[in-house]
Amino acid sequence: MIFLLRRLAFYIGAFFLAVTFNFFIPRLMPGDPSARIIASFQGRLNESQVEAIRKSYGFTGSLWEQYVTYVGSIMRLDFGISTVQFPEPTASLLFYAATWTLVLVGLAIFFAFTIGSFMGIHAAWHRGGFFDSFFTPINVMLNAFTPAIVALLLFYAFSLQLQWFPLGRAHSTSIMPSFSFEFIGNVLYHATLPVLSIFLVSFGGWHLGMRNVMINLLNEDFVILAKAKGLSDRRVRYRYVARNAILPQITALALSIGFLLGGALVTEQVFNYPGLGKFTFTAIGSRDYSFIQGQLLLLTASVLVANLLSDIANVILDPRLRT
Amino acid sequence: MSSDRALLEVRNLTVDYVGDNSIARAVNGIDFDIREGEAFGLAGESGCGKSTVAFALARLTRLPGLVSGGSVRFGGEEVLQFEKARLKAYRWREVSFVFQSAMNALNPVIPVSEQIMDVIETHNPELGEKGARARAVEMFELVGIPPQRLDDFPHQFSGGMRQRICIAIALALNPRLIIMDEPTTALDVVVQRDIIEQIVELKSRLGFSVLFITHDLGLMIEFCDRIGVMYSGELVEVAPASSILTNPQHPYTRALGSSFPPLSGPRQRLEGIAGSPPDLRALPQGCRFSPRCPHAMAVCTQTAPELRFYPEHESEAACHLLN
Repeated sequence: MIFLLRRLAFYIGAFFLAVTFNFFIPRLMPGDPSARIIASFQGRLNESQVEAIRKSYGFTGSLWEQYVTYVGSIMRLDFGISTVQFPEPTASLLFYAATWTLVLVGLAIFFAFTIGSFMGIHAAWHRGGFFDSFFTPINVMLNAFTPAIVALLLFYAFSLQLQWFPLGRAHSTSIMPSFSFEFIGNVLYHATLPVLSIFLVSFGGWHLGMRNVMINLLNEDFVILAKAKGLSDRRVRYRYVARNAILPQITALALSIGFLLGGALVTEQVFNYPGLGKFTFTAIGSRDYSFIQGQLLLLTASVLVANLLSDIANVILDPRLRT
Repeated sequence: MSSDRALLEVRNLTVDYVGDNSIARAVNGIDFDIREGEAFGLAGESGCGKSTVAFALARLTRLPGLVSGGSVRFGGEEVLQFEKARLKAYRWREVSFVFQSAMNALNPVIPVSEQIMDVIETHNPELGEKGARARAVEMFELVGIPPQRLDDFPHQFSGGMRQRICIAIALALNPRLIIMDEPTTALDVVVQRDIIEQIVELKSRLGFSVLFITHDLGLMIEFCDRIGVMYSGELVEVAPASSILTNPQHPYTRALGSSFPPLSGPRQRLEGIAGSPPDLRALPQGCRFSPRCPHAMAVCTQTAPELRFYPEHESEAACHLLN
């Protein structure tokens, strides 16, 4: 418990550090985001209108006042107003995009982690056998592909040529979002190729990681003892070996979340999927400062939350951390 | 306390370690019996094949190790020809293990109750979970660990307690033979003494046989009925524990005995044994000990001596000097 509280305090501190950086970086740059809006009116604004726009972006008052205002609005989940899709609030864009990325990355991580880990367990248990000698090199090779290539190949083959899958979007425009089987089925249908492209480049990592940890554990005394006890193979494999091998995998899973959110950028771009990556890509092109800032904070927060979840999972799974 | 009926008969047992282009014969055709209720010791320096023998007896030899010949008969049945189901029953119901390192012999992430109950439930499914738990409690009481600590995790016990738990697990099915591979090496001398006394007491109460492996010749002489001395994968002498130091037949046994300091009497310079054991891939011709033997004769470097029984000493030895 003390361990978790200490970790929690660390993550909150880290988040505030990120918030502070996020506040200062745009202010260190020449000009400010509001200048872009003001410039787009080509001098047709009077003094008080300029001041109103500057104020709505939080660029008035002393630096300290600006900081307090900024932190306050972050606490209220107010990320300002999009400079490009003016006057849409950034927060609603951000949460819309984050939902779709969560669907995409969540499904991809779930399948990659479970399938990869089970393949690793199987390969380690029968190491040197057909399964191991065939799938381990192939999975490692797939893992070395960049998401861009796999996504483009899948898109070209299955969306453009065979036309088995749609060309883009998270769901058909003809269906209204709801919790119906029809809508969820439609979402899954649209998500298939993007999920598959992330899955294909990441499950090999879980396979290899699990396999290597398992093989090291097979020489441990407690595993040899478990075999000498005449326990069933299943029990030795899962309860004695995999149960221990999963611990470093959980930590690696948390670390991979940030990477995967970054990797989803390319995939979402290829499949025209309305997730964080696609929005961020557009925002960078159009200098949508508040969206980029908000996306950075969201990324930081999700990596920290993932780490906290892995800490909690580790405490639950590893009795040595409970004291 | 031991009868004359042999429980385990090992004949011409040979174990190889297979390399890419070489074979190292770690155990070279050894013969010995373990009688019912007897404590049989295997002594010898590191790498002489003691543990390899122990693993082979429980069919736990794994690649690159390979049992390449000989026979192991347990209660008249050929162990090396057991099929899967018979082997599962043989392991633990008839032969159980206590490993050297109590630190690593228990699975760190599951409670010890599960690690003792799983072996009971696997072999006696008719007992059910309740019956298995009752038996586990009984075993804990037997080795002097408070049963209310049954559900604790391995890291919550001291080294000595962990070794007692390992002994409790080894006794859980009331086996006829317990193989103890350096059961006290990782413990300090006081705890070591407690554990050994406990094993002696349990052995006289329950009547199991023990194969005892250790570097500590003093401890072995105290605990065992008969001792086999191994050198470079061969048994060079098998003698009653009472006479192995006072009346050694083989020069290696004599040298081993004089490598231990006497506890009383004047301080003397220890002799030690000059040289080091041979490389198993490039063995000397004839007797394997001949290059280090102070009494080596011409015949010793040509033909290997055989293990023979010498009734006048009640011991078996393999040395040309005795002929």
